[in-house]
Amino acid sequence: MASAAIKTGRDNIGRVMTQQQIELREHFANQLEKVAASQDTHAFEAIYTHFSPLIKSFGISSGLSYQGDHLPEELVQEVMLSIWRKAHLFDRRKAAPSTWIFTIARNQRIDILRRLRKYQNDLNADDVWELTSDTDLFGEIRDTRIQKNVNRELRHLPPEQKQIVAKVFLEDKSHQEVANELNLPLGTVKSRVRLAMQKLKLTMGVNEL
Amino acid sequence: MNITVSAHLHFCGECQRQVIEYESVAAVLFEQQAAIAVAKDGFANLMERIESQPVSKPSKIRTAPSRFPPVVEKLMTQGTDALSWKKPMKNLRVSQLLTDEQGLTLGLHHMKAGCRVPQHTHRGREISLVIEGGFSDQMGSYGVGDFITLSTEHHHSPQADADGDCWLLSLVEAPVRLTGPFGWILNPFIKA
Repeated sequence: MASAAIKTGRDNIGRVMTQQQIELREHFANQLEKVAASQDTHAFEAIYTHFSPLIKSFGISSGLSYQGDHLPEELVQEVMLSIWRKAHLFDRRKAAPSTWIFTIARNQRIDILRRLRKYQNDLNADDVWELTSDTDLFGEIRDTRIQKNVNRELRHLPPEQKQIVAKVFLEDKSHQEVANELNLPLGTVKSRVRLAMQKLKLTMGVNEL
Repeated sequence: MNITVSAHLHFCGECQRQVIEYESVAAVLFEQQAAIAVAKDGFANLMERIESQPVSKPSKIRTAPSRFPPVVEKLMTQGTDALSWKKPMKNLRVSQLLTDEQGLTLGLHHMKAGCRVPQHTHRGREISLVIEGGFSDQMGSYGVGDFITLSTEHHHSPQADADGDCWLLSLVEAPVRLTGPFGWILNPFIKA
């Protein structure tokens, strides 16, 4: 009985969070569509105001600032420029605005690092890691199911697991790099990632979908 | 390596779904980060940059479904015939597409339908991805989207499936080495 009560409580928190998330998502999906349809600079500014501090934060946490103090700001500029140019590729049925913008930021970060290393070829990161998937296989699932789960479960992760998940998934660090940074054995890092992924209900989705 | 993984994702719904999950996790974490104030004139600068640059046309929407994964097509915009090919072994032609940051060479391998390539091994680790057709060797048979990893301990003589040519993407650390009875004679003539 006790465990059932706890479970309901969790779900309630989850739903409150999700409601806010849904509104935010709808809002920015609308803004992106306005940019695409009519090059609406007000909509674009709203996107800039909300996302550029997050993009800068990502630039710093993922280590860009070690390569140059100006790079997180440069990342903001490049990502926003890319959003302006590619807004017509955004499809709300396929991706949440935050996911779409995150994938642009990830790709632009890769391109900046490659330019620094003077490594160039005919492909840029957007060619390799496509922004929108070709397939409709997942469509709504990507938004509703996965993000909802992740949002809810992430709140309940122990801090040490959440920290490691952020380093691996967001900051793009290898397990070894995280181990060095946190001064932990590699095995500990690996098992924390594995535990966190189980809690986030990842990699076993086949049964769910 | 990224290109090979991306090409695999083109074929594999299961892995695609995992990538989408991981991206969603990252996006949720991305949203939950502490916001860090950006430069005050950032938006003005950005708009200036946008206005000063010619309006670029929306990028082309892909017309016909492409034959190979899009990332591979982008490496051979003139088609496969325009690539420069080498024939390191009987029934196999190879074209180098590019060399990546880690010094791995990405190549395209082409075997004619039903043809067998002589017994050989590999000087380093080689990772292949079947992007069209299929082939078999002493260790198994492989189809579109399958990864095959080979190294110095593997000796094989692959044969393309009879019903069509087989195309592979391959990542190599070092060129292959023939191990068949007369391989040692040919080895000096093999170039990567």
